[in-house]
Amino acid sequence: MNGADLTGPVVEVRGLTRRFGGVVAVSNLDLDVQRGEVLGVIGPNGAGKSTLVGLISGALAPTAGRITLNRRDITGDSPATRARLGIGRTHQTPRPFEEMTVLENLLLAADAVSRPRSAAQRHKDCTEILGDTGLARDAATRAGQLTLLQRKRLELARALALEPCLIMLDEIGAGLVEAETTELIELVRSMRDHVDATLVIEHVMEVITECCDRTVVLDLGTMIADGPTQQVLADPAVAAVYLGTSASSPSDEKPPVDPTPVSPVGHVVGRLVGTDAATTTPLLTLRDVVVDYGHLRALHGVDLEVNPGECVALLGSNGSGKTTVASAIAGTVALQSGQILFDGEELAGRRPDQISHRGVSLCIEGRRIFATLSVEENLQVAAGDVPRHVIRERLDAVYEIFPILAERRHRSGTAMSGGQQQLLAVARALMSSPKLVVFDEISLGLSPIAVDQLYQTLEVVIASGVASILVEQHIDRGLALASRAYVLSNGRVALSGAASEVRDDPALSALYVGASNTNGGSP
Amino acid sequence: MGIAAIDVGAIAQAASTGLLLGGIYALSALGLSLVLGVMRLVNLVHGEVTVLGAYLGLLALSTFGLDPLLALPLVFVVVGLAALPVHRLVLAPLAGRGEEAALLTTFALAVIMQNLYIQWFTGDTRAITRPYSRSTIEVLGLRLPGVYLMGFAISLGCTIAVYALMTRSGFGRRLRAGAEDPMAAGVVGVDVGRVHAQTFALGAGLAAMGGVLLGLAFSFTPTSGTAFLLVGFAIVVVGGLGSVAGTFIGGTMLGVLQSLGALMFGDGYRGFIGLVLFLLVLALRPNGLFGRTAAT
Amino acid sequence: MTSSPPLVLDDPATADRRRSPLGRELAILAAVAACLFLMPYVVDDYALQVGYLILQLAALATAWNLLAGYTGLVSLGSAAFVGIGTYTMAMLDERAAPVWFAIIAAGVVAAVFAAVVSPAMFRLRGLYFTIGTLALAEALRMWMVNARTFNGAAGIYLTGRPPAFYQLYWLVLVAAIGATAVVVVILRRPLALRLNAVRDDEDVAAEMGVRVFRAKLVAFAVSGSLMGIIGAVQALNTRVVVPNGAFGLTWTVNIVLVALIGGLGTRTGPWIGAVFAILLQESLRGYPEIHLAITGAVLLLVIRFAPSGIGGAMADGRRRLARVWRTRS
Repeated sequence: MNGADLTGPVVEVRGLTRRFGGVVAVSNLDLDVQRGEVLGVIGPNGAGKSTLVGLISGALAPTAGRITLNRRDITGDSPATRARLGIGRTHQTPRPFEEMTVLENLLLAADAVSRPRSAAQRHKDCTEILGDTGLARDAATRAGQLTLLQRKRLELARALALEPCLIMLDEIGAGLVEAETTELIELVRSMRDHVDATLVIEHVMEVITECCDRTVVLDLGTMIADGPTQQVLADPAVAAVYLGTSASSPSDEKPPVDPTPVSPVGHVVGRLVGTDAATTTPLLTLRDVVVDYGHLRALHGVDLEVNPGECVALLGSNGSGKTTVASAIAGTVALQSGQILFDGEELAGRRPDQISHRGVSLCIEGRRIFATLSVEENLQVAAGDVPRHVIRERLDAVYEIFPILAERRHRSGTAMSGGQQQLLAVARALMSSPKLVVFDEISLGLSPIAVDQLYQTLEVVIASGVASILVEQHIDRGLALASRAYVLSNGRVALSGAASEVRDDPALSALYVGASNTNGGSP
Repeated sequence: MGIAAIDVGAIAQAASTGLLLGGIYALSALGLSLVLGVMRLVNLVHGEVTVLGAYLGLLALSTFGLDPLLALPLVFVVVGLAALPVHRLVLAPLAGRGEEAALLTTFALAVIMQNLYIQWFTGDTRAITRPYSRSTIEVLGLRLPGVYLMGFAISLGCTIAVYALMTRSGFGRRLRAGAEDPMAAGVVGVDVGRVHAQTFALGAGLAAMGGVLLGLAFSFTPTSGTAFLLVGFAIVVVGGLGSVAGTFIGGTMLGVLQSLGALMFGDGYRGFIGLVLFLLVLALRPNGLFGRTAAT
Repeated sequence: MTSSPPLVLDDPATADRRRSPLGRELAILAAVAACLFLMPYVVDDYALQVGYLILQLAALATAWNLLAGYTGLVSLGSAAFVGIGTYTMAMLDERAAPVWFAIIAAGVVAAVFAAVVSPAMFRLRGLYFTIGTLALAEALRMWMVNARTFNGAAGIYLTGRPPAFYQLYWLVLVAAIGATAVVVVILRRPLALRLNAVRDDEDVAAEMGVRVFRAKLVAFAVSGSLMGIIGAVQALNTRVVVPNGAFGLTWTVNIVLVALIGGLGTRTGPWIGAVFAILLQESLRGYPEIHLAITGAVLLLVIRFAPSGIGGAMADGRRRLARVWRTRS
């Protein structure tokens, strides 16, 4: 890079501010990314972490402030210019160019590198990067056909193909399990030789502790801590706002709301949902369910049962098929073959709204609250085709259980923190008076303290007697609330039984470790 | 380009006539706004449906002796019902295929319909004339065409009705939820396919009613559809996607500007002014002056 | 997936990119050109006229394909560029410029127009771009009808010595072959990946160093300029240019119908679509509205059942056949 100062920090941010309408996402931020370091950025949802990445990459323009790269002011530069100067990034949800092959994705990025190279040399360099990131076998595969983990690898490889001096990883650890995370950490560590600085945005603490020398903590757009990683993570101020009390498992703690059914809140939930504890036949039965996503077989004949009033945990590594099971039950993906029986009726082949009317509620992954509807309207629209006074009754019940929603009933559904929106999502799922609720990865993307609060509420709901399926990434949280559990691996049920049995089963950790080894070899 | 000497009276006259005209345009544009906002469908056949309304109004008069204004509810129902099978057979099957497929399908429909009109009605210029077509009413020293006033009033009334429907009814809630996030809406029990079909029908019905009013106000030919489509889009963009009130206000604004432009530059430039305004607003504020950003 | 899937789900162009060597493709093109070149010596006037129409449409559809199929910019403003080329020819004819100069000038003026409107047009994303191009073309037509500068609705007569029809035929042949050659060459250059990236996910493309505006501009200008050239030749054909004819929506409609029926994002698609459309038109000579209505209906069916168009379906069939052949032997 001509004229670049290669002695000082790689990136300097001064007084950076970004407003979205009335919301200040990043406020007067000052930050340096030093040469040779891996800098971690953590903070609760809405802290401004992804906004920061967008501001540095150029995808977002700042409301105020300056950004320099190697002492060169890039504040007014377009994203393409910044990429050519050497800023590479990955996205929270991977966005490869679906219609191009894996290699072509890299060749495109490599095209932006200013160093003169022959086409053959460029080809060779890109192939090498594919080898380093574990994608060598997939070079000619269309990016649209890759699994999530492969897509993350592709995004990383593509960013590396830019030969960047700064690379930014936006929550790249999300949705991975133990072994995959370890692989990722190795990869990030090995990148140190190729890039001048790395910025790691994360919720997965292991990535931060293992990779980052230094960590900054953002909250509501401002920096509240900055220092060596261990020191920052031990800071009580940081713990208060972000880490919460998640260290211990929730079942050890006494929740503020009494979970036993005699509690008033428990009663309220009981009024709301359909409980059917009298019968002994299973409420929900999955028989040999097969689901395909194009050429990819996601479920290879899954058998599953949920009895009335019980909570069943559905665990498994990323890509094991948990969410696919939830989606199949809710009707958002079609079955290739198999049966889903609910209350004696076949659900397979029905539309999601039909399934919802039959008494199965899905608390969908990612919350998906309607921003153009108010909190109350979000709840009303989920009540289904019932008389107005019934909707009123249910609303009253929900507001008793979730007072925070009553406070904000006329505000937009998304004008709340992530944790509160998740509460709204749970409440919304209850509005149709379901007999079975499927909670799909409801802790994803929430800070540990928000997850604590959420699970306390969940305990109450589950204790009321409604049947539920808890799809969870975190083994402990899932098994703490459930009476039975299934563990999926590569689209099959690998382990099942009472929650305590499953927890103590030595095969459990092997499944999580073993599963990821088949997702492409180690780099 | 001779600019008339500043004649306040003429300007006021043109502006008020334009206001009324714009209100009439807004009825048809409302149909477009709903379809675009809810179904994310750039409905290129919208103009042809508007023209259809005009032809139906003409037919009601010539075949049944029914005054087109009285025929409005009938036109609304007939076209709305006819739109349902069109949606089911032609558009609904394209559900997962992306916006382009649907857009180009409406393009194909527009081509078909426009050519059918030429076949059935010949390329002659038509207009719906009634005894009251020439009457004017004096308001504050301005001579306003009675037809425009009635059209404006009807359009305003329909707009208010649609607004109430959207904000206070279960149908409106389902519509808005389905517009923002069809998948999540399905999961919470909204039959999104049915909502789309109903929206398409409602949009067609409104467009056709607008067409009847426009047929009373203007002359039209089988190819008028393109002009109506572009005016409709101009209004939707100016007024903002997803905003019922915005569409009406946008319509009146466009009407005023068109009439003033015609006053200044000559009547041939009426449509041109509207398009230039449209392009400006598109380039500067793609979400319109009042619109909410629908989830992208 | 953040963006909606492109109209052609299994993009034949992507597969084709990795296939035959450039030399071979250009050779095929040259052979086709040679055969068609000889047409005026072999066929009668009527057939030559049909050939002219087919080649004209093929050239236009290829140009549109570059913009819509490969770059993902679905434009409904083609009429603007054809009209600009037509009027440039007429104006230069008034000044007794040589024909070859006027044709090149038409292409240049059209490209300049594309460059001038680009900053505004490219601010519009997706569907807004589409409707914006329609508005632009219609606005231009309205202005040309009303403005005195170009004689308004009365139009301009070409008074220069008219070229023989077979020469016009050769001109559109060169345009059609040339357009296809341009596409074939581009497909093998990094530009193709950039256009593809822009079509797929414009924002991420920028983050990967693609100068998005520049890439779109190249596609827009090349496409527009080709259309301008066709417009110029058409002026020589009709000998009089009027705004509603030169800038008429019919151009846009025909181009889009042909390109989609033939197959978006393929090299042979525009040719196949052009042949289909013109043959249909000629077989229904007396009923112009019916033929367009039928073409519209065909497009409906194509979108629904054969989204890669006839050309794409044929390519699919060829591939399937090749696969069967390979597994057999």
